[in-house]
Amino acid sequence: MLLPIYAAVVLLLRPALAVFADEAWTVDYHHALLGLPKQSTTFFHRPDPNSRASLIYTLSEQGVIGAVNPRDGAVVWRHLLNSTNDASQPSFLRAGDAQDAVVSGLGGQVTAFSAADGRVDWQHIAPDALVDLEILELEDGRGTPGAKDTLCMSAGQHPSVQRLDGATGAVKWEHKIESGDMPYQVSASTTEVFAILLHKTVLGYVKINVVTLDPVTGRKTDEYTLSSENELATAATIVAVGANSASPIIAWTDSAYKTLRINVIGKKAIVDFPINTLGGRPPQRVALHAPYLTTSLAHFLVHYQSLDADWAEVYHVDVKNGRIEKAYDLPKIEGRSSFSTSTNGANVYFTRVTKDHVFTVASTSHGILGRWNVDSTTSSLTDGTARPVHAASEVSVKGESVSAVRSAVLLSSGEWLLLRDGSPQWTRPEILAGTVSAAFALPSEVSDLVNELQEEAHSNPVSAYVHRITRHIGDIQKLPLLLAALPQRFVHGFLGTGSDGSDTFGFHKIIVSATSDGHLVAVNAGRPSDVLWSSAAVILSSGQVWNARVESAAPGIVRVLDDISPMPTFFNASTGAAIGEDEVTSDAALPTSVEVDFTLKDGQLYGTTASQSGHNELWHFGLQKGETILSLTPRPVNDPVASIGKVLGDRKVLYKYLNPNLALLATTYAGQSRLSIYVLNTVSGAILYSNSHQNIDLAAPIAATLSENWFAYSYTAESTSTAPKGHQLVVGELFESLTSNDRGLLNAATNVSSLASSTQPLTLTQTYHIPESISKMSVTQTRQGITSRQLLAVLADSNAIVGIPRGVIDPRRPVNREPTKDEQMEGLFRYTPVLDFDPKWYLNHRREILGVKDVITSPAILESTSLVYAYGLDVFGTRLNPSFNFDMLGKDFNKFQMLATVAALAVATFVVAPLVQRKQINQRWQFA
Amino acid sequence: MAPPPPPPQWVLDLNSTPPAQSRFSLPDPPGYTPQTALQSKSSKSKSQPQTVSRKPPTPEETATLKLKKAWEIALAPAKQLPMNAIGMYMTGNSLQIFSIMMVFMLFKGPVQAVLGINQTFARFETEGKKEEMLWVKLAFVGCNMLALALGIWKVNGMGLLPTTRSDWLAWETERVPLERAYFRPS
Repeated sequence: MLLPIYAAVVLLLRPALAVFADEAWTVDYHHALLGLPKQSTTFFHRPDPNSRASLIYTLSEQGVIGAVNPRDGAVVWRHLLNSTNDASQPSFLRAGDAQDAVVSGLGGQVTAFSAADGRVDWQHIAPDALVDLEILELEDGRGTPGAKDTLCMSAGQHPSVQRLDGATGAVKWEHKIESGDMPYQVSASTTEVFAILLHKTVLGYVKINVVTLDPVTGRKTDEYTLSSENELATAATIVAVGANSASPIIAWTDSAYKTLRINVIGKKAIVDFPINTLGGRPPQRVALHAPYLTTSLAHFLVHYQSLDADWAEVYHVDVKNGRIEKAYDLPKIEGRSSFSTSTNGANVYFTRVTKDHVFTVASTSHGILGRWNVDSTTSSLTDGTARPVHAASEVSVKGESVSAVRSAVLLSSGEWLLLRDGSPQWTRPEILAGTVSAAFALPSEVSDLVNELQEEAHSNPVSAYVHRITRHIGDIQKLPLLLAALPQRFVHGFLGTGSDGSDTFGFHKIIVSATSDGHLVAVNAGRPSDVLWSSAAVILSSGQVWNARVESAAPGIVRVLDDISPMPTFFNASTGAAIGEDEVTSDAALPTSVEVDFTLKDGQLYGTTASQSGHNELWHFGLQKGETILSLTPRPVNDPVASIGKVLGDRKVLYKYLNPNLALLATTYAGQSRLSIYVLNTVSGAILYSNSHQNIDLAAPIAATLSENWFAYSYTAESTSTAPKGHQLVVGELFESLTSNDRGLLNAATNVSSLASSTQPLTLTQTYHIPESISKMSVTQTRQGITSRQLLAVLADSNAIVGIPRGVIDPRRPVNREPTKDEQMEGLFRYTPVLDFDPKWYLNHRREILGVKDVITSPAILESTSLVYAYGLDVFGTRLNPSFNFDMLGKDFNKFQMLATVAALAVATFVVAPLVQRKQINQRWQFA
Repeated sequence: MAPPPPPPQWVLDLNSTPPAQSRFSLPDPPGYTPQTALQSKSSKSKSQPQTVSRKPPTPEETATLKLKKAWEIALAPAKQLPMNAIGMYMTGNSLQIFSIMMVFMLFKGPVQAVLGINQTFARFETEGKKEEMLWVKLAFVGCNMLALALGIWKVNGMGLLPTTRSDWLAWETERVPLERAYFRPS
């Protein structure tokens, strides 16, 4: 008779749904991420010219602009510039010298932000996609103190160069490029603006064309073409075009990296430097590092990167007569190293970060001004698993020597690390910002035990017994360790000072994420601050996005499916080691006679069965003309349901239509603002429920989910003559029969074949108006499905996630009447068409969760708890108790008080016992 | 030697008892016998009882009397029924410690009474009235059963009897699907 107890618990605790204040910052975790920083758009900058404090600014591959405090790695401010997440799109971020402004360019949009607090100063929409953006550091004699103007170059049908006012963003002039050349970059000296164009010759080569513009009027004053005949096959070998007078150069190489050719902009001469490979392999990549402040010396560093080593050369430019000379070499060092430029007044410093050391040299001489060891054993940089990809540095100079250097280094593992004099200050797991898919997996300690118990269950009693004895002997060896940790555990449990590392409740699951740049990253849901492991799963060509799907295959093992390899790959969730398929024992071995696969192929939905003669098509969803599939949501494979019916107020039963082979299909019609929803039986392909909505805004997100015997979807309806535009949430529930105590046509049949019989469920639906659109939906999962559920909805517009209790959106809520007594006992209340999101439902409370694309849930060992993990850009995780913490002591439980009471009672017993004994003896002997 | 002085007045007062006569001029109420009179009377007629004592009842009469008394005891639970019923009605159908205790008592009483039926009626057993006593006991059991029925009615009202479909829901199983479909992303 456990059911009434559970029902009572669930009923009693139904209204208590909120994030509690004492749990708010402890059970949940959040990484406010920026995304992988790009080399060209990451720099240190002082938002206040009078203060020495600087922030790190970056515009990441994910299109997030943000400022990070270099002291602790906290985000000062950030904005999501685009949500399309197209990493290949060029993006620009520039900061004017000694100005409280940073200007970003992404797509066709130029935005200026206040550097200190991230407020938008102005916005300008360029005619087409941007190719370059520069701050114009003009010396017009008057020394205007105001905001510096911005130059932007856009491509497209009508390429142009525009000068934007630094204070308002208004266009001061526009120069249209009508030569048909491809705009490449823009550069500004103190007196002139250069537009660098690429001219395609008849032979398919590229010629560099420099157009000189008057900075005041934007009129063309000069034009010349560099004699780069037959050298430049593509624009890819152009190393760099300097932005301003500190680096007034164009540098390119031949495709074999034999010669480096440099031109000083404005001069026609080209200087050739043979690339010295220093007796090693030829470089694979050549990069140029130059200071970006106009006040700096015109010195630059050319960084050569071969397969196994890096070296660099420093050059000096004489701007006056256009001469370039090589100053010195930086030696070749095996293993990856990254170079970065920093300035201090006019002086230029180059900082080199390698696996073990950080060096700083001045641009004028090759003497090392500062050298520090990277002194951390925990960093993934020193243990060899990661290498520096690029860095941005800031040096502080005392006299002739460099007293300190701070470098923000992006590691190949995707971590963003700040080294202060070689010692790591903080890391940010920026790689998680590119998560495309994630799954929960069991940690190895748990999965090992699961496997061993399975082995014992499947072998004969004697060998199982022997196996168990040996397992226990093995366990005894852990006893001293356990005993040693015991006092600490007691102290922790007593004071409530966090976890001791043990995971009795199954909260420490491993989350394996696949990122768009081909990495697999694992974090522990119990200790989310650090990355467990990170590995490159596939090698992608540049610009390619990894379309992977991660799912749990067996305890402790994840399966990764992608569009690169036809077969899934398997990884150990605890270590990240790849394992063969034969080692994986699938946990989804169900004794079913027929297995049907259904798949979306070329926009069509098929159901197939595997047989000896290959795959036979079983059914095919007949789309109407112009109908396209928007989304398909199958019911989760592991979706336990505790009760097969709903107990009504009069203690009768309404039977749920429980079919594991359900899927929710959403389709739209080309040219029509129409949405169709189908609930399918995926074995037979039969439509169990369908609905169609007209007049839908298809640009707004349409989210859908399916769990147990109910589904939910949301859409945005366009305004009609009777109703305004609004967001709607539809919840439907499938029943075997709508009369109580009736199991429908099949009645008490113990098994059912969807192919042989066609029983239709009865569906109840209700629609609610919701205050904002839902971009993704999910449902909480618990171990046995006893706990009531919550519908998790991602609200993209308010950067939040809400957990809507299932009871609130029950389709059986009485419409247009007050609930009867029986209905009240069930917890049903009167239907209201408007569903407001209760502030208590917000899982993120005061956090702002940016750019969430999906939410996944997983059961913990405790029935009451469901683990939640949201990813996309930010990473957010929490534990949910939809029916309250009924199987765990809360934090408010005073362990000390309980133990004190027990102790006091024990003492009292010992004190009182002799007294009572004496009294009893006296009673026998004394007559009164 | 002079004769001793006469004792003081208080000694005389102390030694001499007050006169037995009533201090009041009113006569004694009828039927009141002063203690002194009673004592003297009883001492006089100790062996001779004044009134004739009741003659002892015959065994037959005793048996009838016992049977009457037994019937009274047998029907006592029935008399309590209305009061119990009102009590049960008043406590409501919610599961609270008070109503649970009441219901427990309601069950405990009849069961205990029926178990101790022979002790209860042992005093009233007589040789000749065996058959009548059987009827009495049956009536007693019947009355207790009525009280028990009241308890069951109450428990049912509280929803503790597994009489509805939902109580057996945990033993009903989900239908096993013979086919299983898996989504294969392509």
